[in-house]
Amino acid sequence: MILQNLLKLNEPFIRSQICWISLIIFILQHTAVFAQDEYSFDLEDFEKKSFEWGGYVELKFDHVDVNGDGAFTLLNMHREPRSFLDRISSTIQLDGNYNRGKTTLKWVMQATAEQDQLGWKDNADIFEAYASIKPTPMATIDLGKKVFKWGKGYAWNPVGFINRPKDPSNPEEALEGFIGAGVDYIRSFPGDLQTVALTTVALPVWEEVNEDFGEKDNVNLAAKLYLLYKDTDIDLIWYTGNSRSTRYGIDFSRNLATNFEIHGELAHVPSQKGVILNQDGTLSVRETADTSYLLGLRYLTKNDMTTILEFYHNDDGYSETEMDRFFMLVDDANSQFLATGSDFLFQKALMVSKKGYGKPQPGRNYLYTRINQKEPFDILYFTPGITAIINLDDTSYSISPEAVYTGFTNWEIRLRFSLINGAHYSEHGEKLNSNKLEMRVRYFF
Amino acid sequence: MLWFRQCIKNSKIFAALLVQAAIFMFSVIPATAVDGEAILQQIDRNLQPETYEMYRKLINIEPDGTKKEFVLYSVKKGQEKMVALFLSPASEKGRSTLRLGDNMWLYIPNVGKPIRITSLQSVVGGVFNNSDILRLDYGAEYSVAGIEEQGEGYVLDLKAKTNSVAYDRLIMQVDKKALVPTTIKCFAASGMLIKTLYYKDIKDFGDGMMRPSVLETDSPLYKGYKSVMVYAKIQKKELADEVFTLNYLPRVDELR
Repeated sequence: MILQNLLKLNEPFIRSQICWISLIIFILQHTAVFAQDEYSFDLEDFEKKSFEWGGYVELKFDHVDVNGDGAFTLLNMHREPRSFLDRISSTIQLDGNYNRGKTTLKWVMQATAEQDQLGWKDNADIFEAYASIKPTPMATIDLGKKVFKWGKGYAWNPVGFINRPKDPSNPEEALEGFIGAGVDYIRSFPGDLQTVALTTVALPVWEEVNEDFGEKDNVNLAAKLYLLYKDTDIDLIWYTGNSRSTRYGIDFSRNLATNFEIHGELAHVPSQKGVILNQDGTLSVRETADTSYLLGLRYLTKNDMTTILEFYHNDDGYSETEMDRFFMLVDDANSQFLATGSDFLFQKALMVSKKGYGKPQPGRNYLYTRINQKEPFDILYFTPGITAIINLDDTSYSISPEAVYTGFTNWEIRLRFSLINGAHYSEHGEKLNSNKLEMRVRYFF
Repeated sequence: MLWFRQCIKNSKIFAALLVQAAIFMFSVIPATAVDGEAILQQIDRNLQPETYEMYRKLINIEPDGTKKEFVLYSVKKGQEKMVALFLSPASEKGRSTLRLGDNMWLYIPNVGKPIRITSLQSVVGGVFNNSDILRLDYGAEYSVAGIEEQGEGYVLDLKAKTNSVAYDRLIMQVDKKALVPTTIKCFAASGMLIKTLYYKDIKDFGDGMMRPSVLETDSPLYKGYKSVMVYAKIQKKELADEVFTLNYLPRVDELR
């Protein structure tokens, strides 16, 4: 109170004092910079420590225009229809490691909280927490919760048999791992075959352990044999276990020129089970032999424009006719709700959605394109780009121009707009959002 | 007559000497290239041991004086294996890049798997590209096309051995006494000047290694911008071949 009164009484004086103090601090700071050596480098600041930690904090603002007629809007908002949503969210990610001899403990934790007109949500997860034991440079034993990101694709990984599916709109974001035990063995050779590495993983599914991976009370095995042969990365991947059916995969990546890379993945699942909605509205389990694949390239032009192009065929996806049945079910549910107030069919549609129809890319054929122009007009650390995801079967799409600036040390600022569009009964035409404006600020520490 | 015979005998000796001198001279012309290669090899060894660990700072300086700094820990083995790990700033910490000959990969901790990158891209922005950051021995990538002696130095004309090398041609000015480069002009195959590298401030790095501690670069493609590499520690280190593999990239920090 005293301070408030004092501030009121002497406001002009205090303001001028603050200005002067700020100016003096500014000058002193800059004088200190000039007083340093032209290029100083104190190595002591970067000495190896046994305990290290870091992470980032993020603040994000989203404005979403709701696609009022979309099947997923009706499904999720039929009781409280909205035309837009404004969301503010914050995230903190903490990662670190502790080294002692040949053992390293590593962890990644993330907590998020968001508020919009629909309410408050928060979540905290341990993404990774594992011990890594290295008896020799050639071998590593990992025990605990770890993320697996197998495959060469940027947006999708059909051979990522023990991966968490990534969001193709943000494929570089951290994901939650699975609990397991793994052994990694590497050998290098002179000649055409430069590297051979074998990774084997035991992944249990028990009560409260990896329950979302598949059927419980099983221990599953996965293995990846990596070869660097004649300057080509090749992975042979295999998975077996009772939580998911056995599957085989191969991927490759190779530079055809210094600025041109190609990659591909091929996955075969001899017996893949999936839930489908029949014409009579009943659900059944379909069992097929699926072969999915991805072909991609990365090309860099002379003026630093990078293009990533990927074609993905998901043999396990739903055909247009199968998706139409789901959208019709939602339409029927909406008609029933409007006529009677009953949400019985909405509950059924919600259940069907959770069985697979509501996953991010439920279709069969996709094209992904991402183009980034690094530092245009000589603006350092500024990268505008555009990402497009097209469902090739129904020609619906999402297109997202963005601009990223990383010029302030440890800050990343991203502005992105997404237009999600498609015909009635098409994948993107039935999404909850018709467009989205997103401003994201991250500070790394 | 005796005098005449002596003259003929002498002239035979003279002719033989002449022929031998001619053979020697002709053999000297290609020997210039050999000398150039030997000088280049010595320059490589003076700049860095064949197998080493190194700490360096990269500074990008914008026209208004704004700086952005990156600190890297690197290890290299033999002619074509190199890894660099970002120690700072926090936004880049844990990223690592691997080079095996013409192949380059970038590992980003969140992405979790290494992705192939190209020599012309830059993982740090600014004037240095990936091939500058993951530079192998000059002799591993370039042949000496010509050498010229100029006052206190040599000028080496270096030609890329393959078309996958980032710069098609280098004109390297060399300090004759220290046998280290002072200036290198880097040209594209079209003849366009891509950038100029300036080696400065020779410093004793221990173990008999006297080499420049600062590498500056500018480019007509980035007018007003400058990038600098400051070397703090370069020392020999025994390394297993398996360190230079994709599977090892997430663990590079454990080498320190």
